[in-house]
Amino acid sequence: MCRWKKYKRTLLQPSRIETALRTVMTLKPKQLFRQLVSWAALLPLASTVLVAYLGTVLWSLNISFTNSRTFPSDQYVGWAQYQRLFDNDRWLLSLQNLALYGVLFIAACMVLGFLLAVFIDQKVMAEGALRTVFLYPYAMSFVATGLVWQWLLNPGNGIQQAVRQMGYPDFTFDWIIDQDMVIYTIVIATVWQASGLVMALLLAGLRGIDEEIWKAARIDGIPTWRVYVSIVLPMLGPTIATVFVLLFTAVVKVFDSVVSMTQGGPGTASEVPAKFIMDHLFGRANIALASAGSMVLLLTVLALVAPFLYARSRARRREEQA
Amino acid sequence: MKLKLLTLALSTGFAALAHAAGPKAEVIHWWTSGGESAAVKTFSDAYNAAGGVWVDTAISIGDQARSVAVNRIIGGNPPTAAQFNTSKQFLDLVEQGMLNNVDDVALRDGWDKFLPEPVLNVVRVKGHFYAAPVNIHMPTWFWYSKAAFKKAGIAAEPRTMDELFAVLDKLKAAGLIPLAHGGQPWQESIVFTAVLANLGGADLYLKVLRDRDAKAIQGDAFKNVLLTFKRLQAYVDKAAPGRNWNDATALLITGKAGVQIMGDWTKGEFAQAKQLPGRDYGCIAGFGPKSPYIIQGDVFVFPKTTNAEAIKAQKMMAGLMLAPTTQVEFSIRKGSIPVRTDVDVSRMDICAQQGLAIMKDKSRQLGNGEVYLNPDQNGSLSDILTAYWNKNVPVEKVQKDIASALKN
Amino acid sequence: MNGNARRRRLTPARIGIYAFLLTAALFFLLPLYIMLVTSFKTMDEIRLGNIFALPVSVTLEPWTTAWSQACTGVNCNGIRGGFWNSVLIAIPSTVLPILLGALNGYALSFWKPRGANVLFAILMMGAFIPVQVMMYPLVRILATLGLFSSLPGIVTVHIIFSMPVMTLLFRNYYLSIPQELFKAARIDGGGFWRIFAQLMLPMSTPMIIVAAIMQVTGVWNDYILGLVFAGRDNLPMTVQLNNVINTTTGERLYNVNMAATILTSMVPLAIYFFSGRWFVRGIAAGAVKG
Repeated sequence: MCRWKKYKRTLLQPSRIETALRTVMTLKPKQLFRQLVSWAALLPLASTVLVAYLGTVLWSLNISFTNSRTFPSDQYVGWAQYQRLFDNDRWLLSLQNLALYGVLFIAACMVLGFLLAVFIDQKVMAEGALRTVFLYPYAMSFVATGLVWQWLLNPGNGIQQAVRQMGYPDFTFDWIIDQDMVIYTIVIATVWQASGLVMALLLAGLRGIDEEIWKAARIDGIPTWRVYVSIVLPMLGPTIATVFVLLFTAVVKVFDSVVSMTQGGPGTASEVPAKFIMDHLFGRANIALASAGSMVLLLTVLALVAPFLYARSRARRREEQA
Repeated sequence: MKLKLLTLALSTGFAALAHAAGPKAEVIHWWTSGGESAAVKTFSDAYNAAGGVWVDTAISIGDQARSVAVNRIIGGNPPTAAQFNTSKQFLDLVEQGMLNNVDDVALRDGWDKFLPEPVLNVVRVKGHFYAAPVNIHMPTWFWYSKAAFKKAGIAAEPRTMDELFAVLDKLKAAGLIPLAHGGQPWQESIVFTAVLANLGGADLYLKVLRDRDAKAIQGDAFKNVLLTFKRLQAYVDKAAPGRNWNDATALLITGKAGVQIMGDWTKGEFAQAKQLPGRDYGCIAGFGPKSPYIIQGDVFVFPKTTNAEAIKAQKMMAGLMLAPTTQVEFSIRKGSIPVRTDVDVSRMDICAQQGLAIMKDKSRQLGNGEVYLNPDQNGSLSDILTAYWNKNVPVEKVQKDIASALKN
Repeated sequence: MNGNARRRRLTPARIGIYAFLLTAALFFLLPLYIMLVTSFKTMDEIRLGNIFALPVSVTLEPWTTAWSQACTGVNCNGIRGGFWNSVLIAIPSTVLPILLGALNGYALSFWKPRGANVLFAILMMGAFIPVQVMMYPLVRILATLGLFSSLPGIVTVHIIFSMPVMTLLFRNYYLSIPQELFKAARIDGGGFWRIFAQLMLPMSTPMIIVAAIMQVTGVWNDYILGLVFAGRDNLPMTVQLNNVINTTTGERLYNVNMAATILTSMVPLAIYFFSGRWFVRGIAAGAVKG
């Protein structure tokens, strides 16, 4: 009975399009003009989104149902590419790796970046030098730095060897050749590269917080850590959201680090979806399979993000109605 | 001010001269290291000397260079020539009608008379010649460090697969790394190809890779090949995964390892360290007097164009690249052997001379995997092999997987 | 601000802060140490495999080779060839995306035109698509527009690929600016462009710096887009860098590779270092109060 009532309510509510039209038509000329001006300013955005992004996704979707090799073909094969995808051990392993890598990478970057930003914000000496030290990994091409990390993590002549020579003959740190642990080495190297940027973004956000708040908190005698947890973190909300999205996109597209550090190895143990897609796009001359892979990747991202966005937009709509 | 006018006049003059020069050819290739650069310079020098203008567009890594070439063709700005491998990589381009053929040059110079059969079958598609082959590399040479052999007390080169294992055991006993290897999929494929060719023999090799005969793949002979391949893994040191091939060669150079199975480009690495074949290191092409010589190589394709200048440039290039003198000069610097055996080999190193001598025997000419398989099949095979090398997979499952990967 | 006047006591908290920062700095600097040390060694030393060891015989040759003599194809002129191309690509590809991102973020967070959020959502989805997947359609689109293999072409491509991140940065940044400020400006008679140019843009300095850092790094280190879309005469420095470092079966000169990488990263690093003065507290705060 309740379900019918709710259903009736939504039925009787004017559709979104009706509401939009009505709003536009009842706008005063000045307001209408303003809406148009903002839309005109968004023209580059609209054209990019529609042509470049939406267009490409639709094209990719189309290709994933064909048997295209180097060039697009118009021979449709239904779900064959997707079947092949999910029969493929390498692809399934890459998805697993991505999930594990994603959680660890985002968590580590957030925590490390936040701590670095907070500590640097404490009016320390040589702040400029420290900031550059934490940011420089981001400036360097991973093709070379990835190789350095491979050397460092190599049991033969890297950290394991160095510590052993310092007098600890049983020390082992050979994750990079271990099938189960190799993904953690990718985490270490990419956290090294990205935390500096997280620190920079959070620092920009921290620097935007009014000095008055600190003064007031000091006067009220609130301990510093409480200020951070209860006041600063909520105020940094939008910045943290930005950082999270940036890190998430980096996770989904992780490629350079895997290629230069492990080449997806040992064997295929550190395979990631972006590398699988790339290999099939170019090396294997199979753009249909690669497109199927990217569609699955995109859908997975959508599936993860959609509930979160939906909850946020409902909360906002409730806010606006209140 | 006067100086500016003078420079302007001079540069316009030079520009006019340059314009009056021969056909311009923009060439995409992936030869970017020092040794490769010296090699490709023989082509560009020959082309420039014949009156043309070589415009170089080098892009590291084969996959990327080929992808750029394809994208440029699609985008309407094709290069005059683009490098591909002696393989099926450019078949899709032929199918779509995106390449010019060089039949005139091929017929004039008699390519079908001197090109080895595997190479000829790759560049001649449906009766037309779509690619100019420029070299032959052999990926499965057995290299060994003379210093390491001496330390392990090994007096003679191994002449069979069993003797190879005996040698590896001796190296292990002497505390050296028996087999220097870099744990990357393409390197594992090389080791596999070496075992298939030397242990399985030419017949089995062709049945599996060229004919994709499911019965042969599931058979006992192939099972033995796979087991021997896996057996070699025990002689590789623990730090091998991910290692670059040149770091593995470095182990031979510094005498820390005994044997490496790698292509003839390894000679460049030894040369960098000032080591000489015969004195510091040895090269074994295969085991037995009839061991196959595996052929892989590079070719240049000529994107479709109706521009008369460009067509002239393409034909000029195709002719020059296969000329006997250019072939020798190029191969000396590249570490490969020429695509024709009717050349003067006296200036080539002893390993290359060995290779050319073997090539004279047509029955020993076998193509690399990519000569017979398309890139997708070749890649799938590589995936299965590297998984088998690194993990404990039952050999029957490997046979089944290979059969189904090569089926289509 | 009286922070500088007050002498900082060396409390355990301060010591803890410095300890953490120094340990973190060591972790961050370790690879750089290896890169520097390797770049001053000869290949014979590198082959021995002791990556932590200081060079026995220091040599500057890798650096000069990297800059002007390393082979990148037929030509052996090092990485310097593409330097000015990189600059010519980087300047418009930084300025324009930042302006567009700020504009988009401004419109989305203050003016909220109907349906714009849908566009934004699709844009954000686009940020997850690997660049190479979009390559083929983009090549066709640019070819139709006549922009393929040209400087405007590569700038357009950079604008397209940076739009999600730039828009996100500025939109979220503007969300943290109180709406009252915006409403006050509207009441004062400001229109769309006036408020943007005279109020919002000046307030966005910290975010512009961060966006510039990200965009310059991304564009300067970009390889695949410049390779495909810029055209032979505009190839950026990264193409030469990759030609020096990467090779399929050629020899690898690790010392030259390290030197070349450090040289190439000098430009983004310089920007990071000199952008420091804008990370000053109180810019936004001052605007809110005043």
